Amino acid sequence: MTREKKVSITIDNRKVEAKAGLTILQAAREAGVDIPSLCALEHLPSYGACRLCVVEVDGIRGFPTSCTTPVEEDMVIRTDTAEVRTLRQEVLKLLLSEHPASCLFCGEQDECKDFQGTIRKVGVTTGCRYCPNDALCELQDIVEKVGLTETSYPVYYRNFPLEKEDPFYDRDYNLCILCGRCVRVCNDIRLNGTLSFKQRGKQTTIGPAFARTHLEAGCEFCGACVAVCPTGALSAKVSKWSGKPDEIVETTCLYCPTGCTLDLKVKNGEVIDVSADYDSPTEHGLICVKGRFAIPEYVLSPDRLATPTILGPEGYDLIGWDGALDRAAEKIEEAGPEGSCVFVSPDLSNEDLFVAQKFAREVIGTEAILSRVIYDLGSDLRAFVDLVLTSEQIDFLENAKGILSIGLDTTYGFTPVGIAVKKVARKDATLVTIDDQECNLDFLSEEAFRSDPEKWPEYLDGIIKSMSGNGKRGSVPPSFFKKSERNIAIVGPGAIFSKKRKEIFKRVLSLRNDLGWKVIVCHPYTNLLGMIAMGAFPGLMPGSIKSDGVLKFKDPATVVDLKAKCKVGYFIGDVPSSNGTPPCDYVIYQNALPAPEGVKPYINLPAAVFTEVSGTTISAEGKILSINKASEPFADSRADWWIMSGIAGRIKKGALKYNSLSAIQSEIKKAVPGVAGKDRRVPRKKVVMEGKAAENTAYRKDATEAPASFRGVPLHDYVAGMKAIEERRHK
Amino acid sequence: MPEQIQKILGKHGRGPDELIPILQDVQAAFGYIGEESVKAISRYLRISENQIYGVSSFYAQFRFTEPGRHGIKVCLGTACHVRGGSTLLDSLEHGLGIHCGETTVDKRFDVDRVACLGCCALSPVVQIDRDIYSRMTVNKLTELLKNYE
Repeated sequence: MTREKKVSITIDNRKVEAKAGLTILQAAREAGVDIPSLCALEHLPSYGACRLCVVEVDGIRGFPTSCTTPVEEDMVIRTDTAEVRTLRQEVLKLLLSEHPASCLFCGEQDECKDFQGTIRKVGVTTGCRYCPNDALCELQDIVEKVGLTETSYPVYYRNFPLEKEDPFYDRDYNLCILCGRCVRVCNDIRLNGTLSFKQRGKQTTIGPAFARTHLEAGCEFCGACVAVCPTGALSAKVSKWSGKPDEIVETTCLYCPTGCTLDLKVKNGEVIDVSADYDSPTEHGLICVKGRFAIPEYVLSPDRLATPTILGPEGYDLIGWDGALDRAAEKIEEAGPEGSCVFVSPDLSNEDLFVAQKFAREVIGTEAILSRVIYDLGSDLRAFVDLVLTSEQIDFLENAKGILSIGLDTTYGFTPVGIAVKKVARKDATLVTIDDQECNLDFLSEEAFRSDPEKWPEYLDGIIKSMSGNGKRGSVPPSFFKKSERNIAIVGPGAIFSKKRKEIFKRVLSLRNDLGWKVIVCHPYTNLLGMIAMGAFPGLMPGSIKSDGVLKFKDPATVVDLKAKCKVGYFIGDVPSSNGTPPCDYVIYQNALPAPEGVKPYINLPAAVFTEVSGTTISAEGKILSINKASEPFADSRADWWIMSGIAGRIKKGALKYNSLSAIQSEIKKAVPGVAGKDRRVPRKKVVMEGKAAENTAYRKDATEAPASFRGVPLHDYVAGMKAIEERRHK
Repeated sequence: MPEQIQKILGKHGRGPDELIPILQDVQAAFGYIGEESVKAISRYLRISENQIYGVSSFYAQFRFTEPGRHGIKVCLGTACHVRGGSTLLDSLEHGLGIHCGETTVDKRFDVDRVACLGCCALSPVVQIDRDIYSRMTVNKLTELLKNYE
């Protein structure tokens, strides 16, 4: 490895070494010299819009902007001369002439903060006290830094109407200072290109083409623009008046298996907002709308189950935890091992899944540890598990030469995968998209195959044919995908939930096994690898993925009778439905939000959600990631493992007696290979099928691509913005 | 129309620097840059529609609505302004019910202002399509418009 080249420069009479290639601004910051700036931001390309970072450099005429000027050997830089200071003040005055900033210079600023703090939430922002970004505003900080106490220019209010029609965030371009951070993050980091500067001069605004709404223009609602906005021009609807968070808790998103890191912002013991972590190794901060915006409304929903209730003759009666656990235990005992089943959600943590399978096996004595995965996938489960277990890492896409996306649109989910695809497709990779409607990756594709899923297997056959080496064109020219190169197929929800998935899976497996392709599966079952590793499947014991990465998989349908009627169904984190779950006489319903209409659980047990408890989950890449508690469980709700442990103790004295999470974790460490390892990964190598395949039946006839949900509850039922997105998806 | 756009695109390379030449060709062929054209350009150049709109809205030469059948340009250069050019523009805006830079609903007229048409001795001057009309008055202009359908 060659050593990094360094140059020596002088900043404010101090000699320092700086890495070659840095800008003056970056070098100064590394040397601890603070230069004010509004448009420059780590991770974003240099831009030079705000002109606040001007400095003096010997030998350069005028005042170069330090964010666009690279350091050179022997450069002499002065960042804080009288001239530079005056210039900055002048620049800032001009900037503020188009920004309602009266409060910044008001003599009664401090008193006002203390005594008139209630005049807020106004329609028009005329000063800081009326701005949702008050106290979070970078402009406020800069005014202080630059030392501006008055302005000689009149304020020009541009009088743009407030834009509130789009979901999740509001826009007030009267506050915009045109620093271009949002445009750059949208175009250069998210590669989405929803935002651009429109018109010019004093008419310049930011937004999508024509008079389209952001929703129409293909906005992903990733909120990256809101996060980088230095002013109050962009603000999240849910949290805009919450002010500064008290603390930030890092956790893992459980809305899909990607395993994105989220920074939960906590205020007054509630999760009010979420931000991305650009240093996270999995998704590099490229989170989707679900993690960014769909958490506070879900976890703070007024409909959350608050205390245990039991079905009485006249509706639900409150019953304390003791009573509820007693009655649940009674019912399960009554039904016995033959008449009960446990139905787990793939959105549970490893610890909860581990306790759930123990509950079924040791307390009830049944292998009926059922889940949505089994009913959704039916007889295609074997092929699905085969593809999922060896699913490639997202970073593999970086060097891919051929990409085939099947039924994948990454606008509102799996954005880290989508952005990685866009990145290489722009470079030199060949992208072919297969979908039944236009998808967001189309505009970078070499070929976009649009048709009913009926024809997808045939098209895939064509690809296999054109790769077979006789130079004949199958469905794509042989030049698209070459055997010697790194090819990857991405199987999206559109394929997993299509009528032809059996045939599609078969072709993808043949691409993988015969032609050396890699595969990424974008599926909605968050902790599916956790379910397999913890043994929350019929016939799979904990530790079924051996330390050599081999999984011996039995078809659940050959272990238990999936169509049998149950006397008691214990639903942990999922909801019963008329098809897709076994019919049960009595439902013990353990979840955070109420069961859907038409389902009358016998007992409701309020469970805490992932922002309220700790644990671990396993991502699609096999990484074991931490879930960290950010707030106390809502009302009288409890962690899933605590509830299971309570019922277990009543059925069988001393069973599943856990006092804390770490007690469960130390058991898991012994039982499941990889968990105790330093690199925090489960081994994944291959799947060996054991026993017979299940008969060719789907247990769920209507398994179509379901809306984004968590613990069985569709997000759009509780998150207003997701509803708008769901409507657009179906248009 | 789609074939015509494809034909224009076929004449250009696929680098982002081709955007402005393509926009110019599209505008020359159709008189404006429509949503359909933007979409086709977006697929061809692999730039998002929003970015294309951002670039094209920067330049006054590009327009995004179908032009009217006849373009009226009122001169507001110094000489024309002194001799009542702005009154002519006002009367046109009122009479046609549109603002400067817009097109009438029946697509008959566009109204625009120009800075000088180079014949100040004949001011105030109005240009309709390729013809220049000199020493205009509000009454003369109203009569004149009847000749254009």
